[in-house]
Amino acid sequence: MDRRDFIKASAAAGATATLAGCGNPENQLIRFIPEEPLFPGIATWKPSICSLCSAGCGVLVRVMEGEAQVIRNGQTGILKMGLAKKLEGNPDHPISQGKICARGQAAIQVTYHPDRIRQPLKRSGDRGSGQFQEISWDQAMSEALSRLNSIASSEDRKTLGFLTRPLSGQREVLVSQFLEQFGAPSATVFEVFGNEVLREANRRSFGYAQLPTFDLARSHYVLSFGADFLGTWNSPVAHSLAYGEMRQGRPGIRAKFVQVEPRMSQTGANADEWIPVKPGTEGILALGLAHVILKAKLRTPSDAARAGELIDGWNSGLPNYTPEAVATRTGLSSARIEKLAHEFAEHGPAVAMIGDAPLAHTNGMSQALAVNALNALVGNVGKAGGIFFTPRPDIGGPPKAGRHLRDIAADVLVAARTPVQVLLLNDTNPVFGSPPAWRVAEALRKIPYIISFGSFLDETSSLADLVLPDHSFLESWVDAVPESGTSMSVASIAPPVMRPLHQTRSMPDVLIEIGRQLQRPLSLPWKTYEEMVKAAAEVLPGESGSWESIQGQGGWWRSASMLQPDRQTARREAPLNDAQFDGRAEDYPFHFLPYASQAFLDGSLAHLPWLQELPDVVSTAMWSSWVEINPRTAQDLGIVQGDMIEITSAHGTLQAPALLSPGIAPDVVGMPVGQGHQNYTRYASGRGANPLSILSGVTEPETGALAWAATRVKVAKMQNSGEQRPLILFAGGMKEHEERHR
Amino acid sequence: MAHSWGMSVDLDRCTGCEACVVACHAENNIPTAGPDEAARGRAKHWMRVERYWEGEFPDVRLKFRPVLCQQCESAPCEPVCPTYASSHTSEGLNAQIYNRCIGTRYCANACPYNVRFFNFYNPVWERPLDLQLNPDVSIREQGVMEKCTFCVQRINAGKIDAKANGRELQDGEIKPACVQSCTANALVFGDLNDPDSAVSRLSRSPRGSKLLEEMGTQPKVTYLERETWHKSEGTHRG
Repeated sequence: MDRRDFIKASAAAGATATLAGCGNPENQLIRFIPEEPLFPGIATWKPSICSLCSAGCGVLVRVMEGEAQVIRNGQTGILKMGLAKKLEGNPDHPISQGKICARGQAAIQVTYHPDRIRQPLKRSGDRGSGQFQEISWDQAMSEALSRLNSIASSEDRKTLGFLTRPLSGQREVLVSQFLEQFGAPSATVFEVFGNEVLREANRRSFGYAQLPTFDLARSHYVLSFGADFLGTWNSPVAHSLAYGEMRQGRPGIRAKFVQVEPRMSQTGANADEWIPVKPGTEGILALGLAHVILKAKLRTPSDAARAGELIDGWNSGLPNYTPEAVATRTGLSSARIEKLAHEFAEHGPAVAMIGDAPLAHTNGMSQALAVNALNALVGNVGKAGGIFFTPRPDIGGPPKAGRHLRDIAADVLVAARTPVQVLLLNDTNPVFGSPPAWRVAEALRKIPYIISFGSFLDETSSLADLVLPDHSFLESWVDAVPESGTSMSVASIAPPVMRPLHQTRSMPDVLIEIGRQLQRPLSLPWKTYEEMVKAAAEVLPGESGSWESIQGQGGWWRSASMLQPDRQTARREAPLNDAQFDGRAEDYPFHFLPYASQAFLDGSLAHLPWLQELPDVVSTAMWSSWVEINPRTAQDLGIVQGDMIEITSAHGTLQAPALLSPGIAPDVVGMPVGQGHQNYTRYASGRGANPLSILSGVTEPETGALAWAATRVKVAKMQNSGEQRPLILFAGGMKEHEERHR
Repeated sequence: MAHSWGMSVDLDRCTGCEACVVACHAENNIPTAGPDEAARGRAKHWMRVERYWEGEFPDVRLKFRPVLCQQCESAPCEPVCPTYASSHTSEGLNAQIYNRCIGTRYCANACPYNVRFFNFYNPVWERPLDLQLNPDVSIREQGVMEKCTFCVQRINAGKIDAKANGRELQDGEIKPACVQSCTANALVFGDLNDPDSAVSRLSRSPRGSKLLEEMGTQPKVTYLERETWHKSEGTHRG
């Protein structure tokens, strides 16, 4: 079409539109009167809190006037409203200090996602068919209430289940009070990459069941056992800020950073020294270092206090962990172990950390206790340049841990009348994220009624009978009490930054409303969630705590003294067991290492197009799954870059393209978690493979946490791969001669 | 004196987190290409993080380098443009004037840094993703070349604000989206004509070098090399 034709066509289309508009008023959208004062072209920045992970980064949202198509009182129309345009870190917030990560930058797409659920849904087809019909909130609420009223007898009340992603702040308090007053058991939290092993280890070693905070900016030596702390683990933005200072923020001082892991992560790439050890032997190396430090009398056993007393043989100098013995078990040379131990003890303040895969073995707990003891030995717990625990304001009370999802699923599957009659599901996706051996999907199908609060249909929420869609975090009151990442005491609180785009309601408000309307009403003392957050904020001490100033700056924070480790003796020596793996080495020669992906974490962010097109920084892959394999191993198996390969465990098989990577041990294959969704919006559905789908159900025995690094696999090149699923790489792209003309 | 905008990138701070990459998409209305077009090498990333492997397992190293338009003082993209769409501004930016561009793609051929991106199609934002678009940045149509602008809309907003309030522009006041987002403060932006600006001081660092500087392009982005740790130095360096 040339310019002249285009003008003619536009003129004709315009005339048609005008005529249609005259004849059929319902075809022309009316303009609603704005509900808020707006200034064209002027941006305002409003505080909020990023809710994509548990770190709790404070953000500022750029809000400008725009026109959105909305529904008001059943009428579709155009509304001029304040729209979020960009997220940036909140410079005043103690965790984010003006920064947010790549995922946080993309978080705005959650609100504007084309596949967001826009109003309540009721299942209209079979379970899992994905067929729903849109219904009104009045109808949805009455359906939910009648279901909850039907389990009102004192015995039946225990059959209400609540399955959720990790909650923080007043959401956690509300859910816990709702369930307690209803007479239901505590909520079950499900997340793939949970940290319950480390929390429990920290409770035993130091007295705090909490993730640690690291004072990297003042440290002179950082030794990380597997923790992807600059990428995906714990509080990555706070870590990155401190890391920059650790490298170049102190004139004349640049700390050394050592990373111990069998597959080079984004974090490991930044290390001065990268040490691949055999999977599951990280804790053995930590005790080997402690042995050398004790033997050279650089420290004495009592320096580690309680954390040391938990380790078998600590007071006698760990005789089983000589450099020679540790060398055999970890695959390092004894000279390197001695050198590392001396560096760690002599270049203080030094800090050791453990996270991710080393905790996801069957010996995860003892590995964590070993690293805790090493930290305590060099005297860096609660000290500058070491580790400490964030002092949290007391506005919630300790969370009550519900039963493990795996146990609930097992009970549901065997019972004649399932012990869960109604399940409330809040934004977590265990059908995608749990190993097949737990049979979660099967159990969920057996539960008579499921109500989901999620904003998207995914593998789990598509099993729901009723969907009561939540606001996005930009449309909600948000609050969080960060567990780690700052030395200050923080309660982040922020009002909504924009009006809801769709016919959604915030989950806490729906819970409060249900509590009021039940036949046997609950005595929740608040009319709205806003009221509840305000009531909690009033308890916060100090002059900075006025409600207006809290809303204006996005929370309340004040400096507090560091929590000191509990040194009280809790003698309970435990030997460090060898990690056990699922699958015999003869049949399954490779360790399988799934890892949280830079773009998608546990897969919950695979629906955001910016993150799909974000090249993974290590592989440069976009829109793809891949399996990382050592080039020499690949050569032995006749595999070249991009070949479709088959990964088989005792529990399943998947296919994905091979990515030859020099940064992975020859007996390990690595795979990012995130792709492989069957059903998760137009951007993620049917793309790639899910490594979690072939994991064994092996757990860390003391916490019941999934040991997601404990599965062994075999690898084969696919002879007849059928449909090729290409590996899309950003590196090496932009070749003009490869462009096809269309 | 006129401004001369420049950037320094401290590779010893950069962690490869790629917050800059997504921040750039959000700020500059960069369309998502989708898997099919991305497979053809048509994904648009004005800012990217390159990575280089060195050595073999187990003695392997991986290095990151954020790469964006180097805003060359002697830019190969400019003289090849038949319509003066690629042109040099008085403040030293390699501007791309979209409504002059006729899509010859000579500039992308001439650029040694691979930082120019061609619109093979009209961009699409599936509704309501379009509500996020930044009204300060124009959307590029089919047939037009696009590239990093050092967030010229932010530069202009900063200058206008300073002028409206009758004050001098402060060093560090203007931050392109990538610099604002940088979680390790590896990226620093400012005026190279101000010898006391942070970017000027960092650009004079003995660790500094320019990307492909032997080509004579005179880039205004300075890379500060990653350091190595030696035991003999301990934690202290000279």
